[in-house]
Amino acid sequence: MKAGTVNTASRRPRFNWLNDLWPWLCAASVALSLLMLGALLALLLVRGLGHFWPATLEEVTLRSGDTFAGHAVREVELPQQAGDERLYFTGNQDIEGARWRWVKIEEIAERAQPADLIRLERSPWGDFIGRLVAIEQDDQRWEGDAAWQRLTALLALPASQRQESQLLLTTVDGQTLRQPMASIVSAQAPNAMSWSQKTHVWGDGVWRFLSEGPRAANTDGGVWPAIFGTVLMVILMSVMVTPFGVLAAIYLNEIAHQGRLTRLVRIGVRNLAGVPSIVYGVFGLGVFVYGIGGSLDEWFFSDTLPSPTFGTGGLLWASLTLALLTLPVVIVATEEGLARIPEAQREGAVALGATRLEMLTRIVLPMAAPAMLTGVILAVARAAGEVAPLMLVGVAKLAPQMPIDGEFPYLHLERKFMHLGYHLFDTAFHGEDVQAAIPLVYATALLLVLIVLVLNLTAIFLRHYLGRQRGNEC
Amino acid sequence: MLAPLHSANTAQVPVAHFSSEHSCLSIDHLSLAYAGKEALRDLTLSVPRHRVTAFIGPSGCGKSTLLRAINRLHDLNETVTHSGKITLEGQNIHDPQTNVTELRRRVGMVFQTPNPFPMSIYENVAFGLRLQQRLPKRKRDDIIEWALTSAALWDEVKDRLHRSAWQLSGGQQQRLVIARTLAVQPDVLLLDEPASALDPISTLKIEELIRNLKSELTLVLVTHNMQQAARVSDYTAFLHQGELVEYGPTDQVFTNPRLQHTENYITGRIT
Amino acid sequence: MTPPRLTSSRQPLRLLQDRVATGFITAGGVGVLLAILAIGVFLIWETLPLLAIGESLALAKLSPLAWGTLKAALAALLFAIPVALGAAIYSALFMSARLRARIKPALEMMEAIPGVVVGFIAGLILAPWVERHLASALVLIIWLPLSAGLAGLLWQLVKARLRRRLPPLSWAGLWLIPWLALMVAIALWLAPWMEQLWLGGDLRQLLDQRFGMDYATRNALIVGLAMGFAVIPSIYSLAEDALADVPSTLIEGAQALGASRWQALWKVALAAAGPGIFSAVMIGAGRAVGETMIVLMASGNTALFSASPFEGMRSMAAAIAIELPEASPGGQTYHLLIFAALVLFIFTFLVNTLAEVVRQRLRRRYRQMGGTS
Ligand SMILES: Nc1ncnc2c1ncn2[C@@H]1O[C@H](COP(=O)(O)OP(=O)(O)OP(=O)(O)O)[C@@H](O)[C@H]1O
Ligand SMILES: [Mg+2]
Repeated sequence: MKAGTVNTASRRPRFNWLNDLWPWLCAASVALSLLMLGALLALLLVRGLGHFWPATLEEVTLRSGDTFAGHAVREVELPQQAGDERLYFTGNQDIEGARWRWVKIEEIAERAQPADLIRLERSPWGDFIGRLVAIEQDDQRWEGDAAWQRLTALLALPASQRQESQLLLTTVDGQTLRQPMASIVSAQAPNAMSWSQKTHVWGDGVWRFLSEGPRAANTDGGVWPAIFGTVLMVILMSVMVTPFGVLAAIYLNEIAHQGRLTRLVRIGVRNLAGVPSIVYGVFGLGVFVYGIGGSLDEWFFSDTLPSPTFGTGGLLWASLTLALLTLPVVIVATEEGLARIPEAQREGAVALGATRLEMLTRIVLPMAAPAMLTGVILAVARAAGEVAPLMLVGVAKLAPQMPIDGEFPYLHLERKFMHLGYHLFDTAFHGEDVQAAIPLVYATALLLVLIVLVLNLTAIFLRHYLGRQRGNEC
Repeated sequence: MLAPLHSANTAQVPVAHFSSEHSCLSIDHLSLAYAGKEALRDLTLSVPRHRVTAFIGPSGCGKSTLLRAINRLHDLNETVTHSGKITLEGQNIHDPQTNVTELRRRVGMVFQTPNPFPMSIYENVAFGLRLQQRLPKRKRDDIIEWALTSAALWDEVKDRLHRSAWQLSGGQQQRLVIARTLAVQPDVLLLDEPASALDPISTLKIEELIRNLKSELTLVLVTHNMQQAARVSDYTAFLHQGELVEYGPTDQVFTNPRLQHTENYITGRIT
Repeated sequence: MTPPRLTSSRQPLRLLQDRVATGFITAGGVGVLLAILAIGVFLIWETLPLLAIGESLALAKLSPLAWGTLKAALAALLFAIPVALGAAIYSALFMSARLRARIKPALEMMEAIPGVVVGFIAGLILAPWVERHLASALVLIIWLPLSAGLAGLLWQLVKARLRRRLPPLSWAGLWLIPWLALMVAIALWLAPWMEQLWLGGDLRQLLDQRFGMDYATRNALIVGLAMGFAVIPSIYSLAEDALADVPSTLIEGAQALGASRWQALWKVALAAAGPGIFSAVMIGAGRAVGETMIVLMASGNTALFSASPFEGMRSMAAAIAIELPEASPGGQTYHLLIFAALVLFIFTFLVNTLAEVVRQRLRRRYRQMGGTS
């Protein structure tokens, strides 16, 4: 560069578009990425957790004189400046034929929040929103407050000990209904609740989401079978991927001749981490399910053919496929850990008369353990979030039986299983009532993201710890 | 700088010859190369039993390489090629029948930079022992105490035997590594600058240790400290650029070197 | 005092153990590597029957899928490349080291968010919103870069007066977040008015009437945004590494020659890291081509030949996920879909290998440059 440019460049005080604005655009890219990430997480958090907060019930009177009760879900702007519309969840599908109601805001004459409105969770038919008139049991009858107390007292008992009784209910527009006690899952009067009661209900809701199975075609209830399936599949996968991944890494790093071929293989393994997961799914379907599974069926389960036992997607094939998918992750991480161990440590062991096996098991592997653990955790994090390959090799929308039960052989590797990610996909896109399912989908998504993020943070922490340990030794 | 040596010169190097009953280790026309780059060239010498032999020479002349060759540590590095013969107690160490792990136990090695294992002090010293033999704990403790005492470290660590060895100072680590090697009772001890990180007192202790050990084993010592070589060694070999320049009894090499190169190096006249 | 001599009675056993273990590890390692190799072999094997079918049919079935894959990947890259590279340049060259140590892992965390979650947000939340607020969404795309420039301009202007008090550029990645959020809010507030004022109503109707463009709720625009979001972190991370590794002597050298900071960076750092940035983009492309769930959930899955950003598509990966479980093994569809998988496999494998080779070569060059100076 010529000397002349120096002077003009350094003296020019004017605003220079190229010099002064580009860095800001770049900075904005970082800010935008963070903003998007933060918005996504915030959305999941608010919607996922907010769903369990007992919503205030409103009694809405329209200008037409019509009344109904429900809680407001969201508002949407109508096209062509036609004002806003609000969506209410009204429940009472058995009476009204629908659980949702769109209302134009300008049509609303009055909104009230009477404390005696209650919400009953029922099965079947989903929620009821309205008032409790009385409870009848044999010839006894409770009314008003007493009825409500009787109801909560009954619900506090385990389901088997509740006496058979009938609830007399009315909707806000005056229709009455008799509901058998046996169909009631829970009851709440959110408008009459204090904050601490609401928090309690919220915690209860979160817990039931985590611990119960889905109800009402996945639009209600919890995700426990999906959590269980995901965890079991991931555990099986780690059990398979860890030894093989570590073995392959040790072979590549410690035993193989470090020539051209090994270098090529190493690059190949690294690149497999970039191969789309669906390709692994195809391999799993073709080789594990149809190939190996089909043969197994012919040899051992021929009496049940043509209905397949192992020749269809199942837990075993799913975890094998994901093990293959995450193999590169474990190999690469372990190899990094092995390569990081100073040669002096190996020489020190060998010079004391250790064989290669002794050097590996007593010095090298313990030192590489955090790296291996990091690899396995990253593999688990990846596997927990993968859905596409599972759609080919064994995930189910609703598994009738859990893969572990009291029946011999207790662990049923051939069964289909539920998976959080697939559960999310299925309820969001193939559910009967997507509108009703969305809050639960949010909660499921939040759970999945939390699991994956926590796993990744653990891996990052381990790696950091590893770096520190290395710093010590230098 | 020294003028580059010609192989004709090497032939004239007077090599101390020991009758086979005195020679413990002999190296015969050894050449060695790292990935084709020659590090040792046509080296011939023999090391007398129960004596201290010092290898001196400028940095990068191949001293460490030679020690590693005696231990067959170069087996770990695929790029190393060699020719020539090394015999230990009359046995060719590259013989297919030689048990390499046993050879390495018999030829102890203390490296230039201390490399304690990431475990406790006790476990470091016990490492080699555990490989060899299952000893009752009391006996093992005895050997460990003996090894640490011999390496002049016992008093400093006896209260924290189960702390991490990486917490020791550099000099303590060096002595720990010596103790670790002594614990497996080698016949030959190769010491690669064992005192480079030590204070004068510890250095004296090590030197005394070396003198004491002479009665038990054969020692080879690499050092950059001329006084140390003169103090402890019986024989001295001067290496330069992978070749043996001069080899003889220490007092002769130090007081009356045959070659100008050697004298220049010993008196510090070369950079 | 001398301890008793050690015996070496365990020697033969130890050597045997060593030999057995070495054999075991070798067998296991080679076995695992062969299993990995088997993926390629299987895909090719299962594709062979296609040779008998004749290519016209395969072409008719696969070309819309190939088109959909390309369209989705392009849309994603169009969004991801500028954002990811901008972020990489900023965090490698301008950001304060303390901030960088936090931000980089946070951005890399984005990569961990499962595709199915991103797809859900895109398909069920974002897509209907954009459908209703198309004009606002388009305005935002233009407005956001402008507002970043505006921030820079304001900063320069105010700097002349205030000097010290301003938060510096090296922290801008953080304090621009509220600024951008504010700008988004302003844009969302203004856009409907502007739409009314200039377009006389609804943009979507306008598009339909004037240009005959259909609008599908789940379309390339949505896929681009969602998959772009997923691809940003992989491009960012690799490009940032390449830029941060440029030997600082190079940049300082250019500055000593009189280039102002940005010129030095542009000319020297970007040129030196060029291959690294290229390989980052390649890896991002590989990811975009193979991503399944996001396309599946955000694209509508209609196999169309349309270049319109407002229409959907069906990608190869999505087609495999939907159709393969139903296809009877050995049938024509089955082989065709496996062929699609083979194409994905070969494409991503080649792209990744290329990227890896380029990166290794670059690293060697850096080492030489660092060594000579
Ligand atoms: N692992 C290796 N790979 C390649 N070359 C090596 C290796 N180790 C040593 N060398 C080379 O071999 C030559 C001899 O090295 P060596 O370590 O034996 O020197 P040294 O005499 O011990 O030096 P110092 O006194 O500094 O320890 C040097 O030129 C060195 O660069
Ligand atoms: Mg040395």
